[in-house]
Amino acid sequence: MSDEKITHFGYQQVPVEEKASRVRAVFDSVASRYDLMNDLMSLGIHRLWKRHTIELSGVRHGQRVLDLASGTGDLAERFAGIVGPGGEVIMSDINAAMLREGRERMINRGRVGNLHYVLINAEQIPFPADHFDCVTIGFGLRNVTHKQRALEEMQRVLRPGGRALILEFSHPLSKPLSKAYDLYSFSVLPTLGRLVVNDPESYRYLAESIRMHPDQETLRAMMETAGFERCDYYNHSGGIVAIHRGFKL
Amino acid sequence: MTEGVQIPDAILAVIEQTVNGYIRLDPEGATAFAALDGRIIGIELAGFGTRITIIPSAQRLQIFGDYDATPDCLIRGTPLGLLRMNMAEHKESQVMRGEVEISGDTALAQSFSRALAGLEIDWEEQLARIIGDPFAHQVGNQARAVSQWGRKTSTTLTSDLQEYLQEEARLLPSRVEVEAVLNQIDILRDDIERTEARIERLTRQLARHRPHP
Repeated sequence: MSDEKITHFGYQQVPVEEKASRVRAVFDSVASRYDLMNDLMSLGIHRLWKRHTIELSGVRHGQRVLDLASGTGDLAERFAGIVGPGGEVIMSDINAAMLREGRERMINRGRVGNLHYVLINAEQIPFPADHFDCVTIGFGLRNVTHKQRALEEMQRVLRPGGRALILEFSHPLSKPLSKAYDLYSFSVLPTLGRLVVNDPESYRYLAESIRMHPDQETLRAMMETAGFERCDYYNHSGGIVAIHRGFKL
Repeated sequence: MTEGVQIPDAILAVIEQTVNGYIRLDPEGATAFAALDGRIIGIELAGFGTRITIIPSAQRLQIFGDYDATPDCLIRGTPLGLLRMNMAEHKESQVMRGEVEISGDTALAQSFSRALAGLEIDWEEQLARIIGDPFAHQVGNQARAVSQWGRKTSTTLTSDLQEYLQEEARLLPSRVEVEAVLNQIDILRDDIERTEARIERLTRQLARHRPHP
């Protein structure tokens, strides 16, 4: 961001105050077919990325977990099964339509009791400091306007000893893979978007926003700046996706 | 991260789905997992370093590879030892023999094993959902008749084969013959022990009566 009042929305430059509403419009448009699109876009591999995120979380019975940008709640649902009735999982999203979809899905699957739903902007988390054992954000950080602020907030609400996990698209490690990935993102993705949700623009934004997202090392440095310690990351699918992890000690 | 041969996440995901599909077929039996909600059970294959983590919750299990938390209970054994324990009626015998090692909350391992063994699937009920009660009942009756015939045939075959091998071909001894041989062996062993004791007694007597130099 060269200018404080201008930020990126995919490859476009938009006023800072406009980004959140434009991101909201994207997710309003795709909410109802979000799961289907995720499966089509990643060929189902997003489930494996999410499984590894859960493995790295090490969440236990009775703990308190905050899942930011929950979407339809793939991570939150698994956490709810791990923390049990004595624990608590906060499923959250900045987008009301997505959160509503997620809540419907959880209720339909009988996941009730330890799941709570909160409309949250990751830049201003409405919880006290030192409150959660684990904070996760899956495929959400790249849509946040001020990423550094969001990371600082995640660090603030974590209890000492707690950990944050960021599952996000990242930068492929090899040039040939990068070329193939570009081709897929800018040709196949918008076509899928047109066929499934009749909205190629939203999926063009997804592809562009991934390119504008910080690479693995930059994001790790940002986590360290936010106060996280022992930060590391795990690449998946040749770096197309990375899971970053940091602890509050 | 634990070293060793780890099972790929994709395979674990398929296993998890299959196991949960099975559990769903017995909703009553699955309630036993609710008591173990969120407990972390680690299984480690000795020699390979392969780690599987099972986290039960009401109605389903989550199965991971190397879950990044200390398990509440760790069951460690060779693949064969674990398999034998799974099939054995008295599971503690494998632990006593040292083939399987359980650390942490051992009661948790027992409860989990009981919950798994307690699953009983009513196939007729499951079939009824697809083809309706009357047809499912008929299929069930047929299946029961086939199973009964199978059991009867297997018993008859076993008995016929036993008779042929023992009485006709004389390849194997009969139970009475085996018992007679075992009895004779017992008598012989007792005789040898008695003789041994006698020799020992005579040796002692001889040593007592031998003049001292």
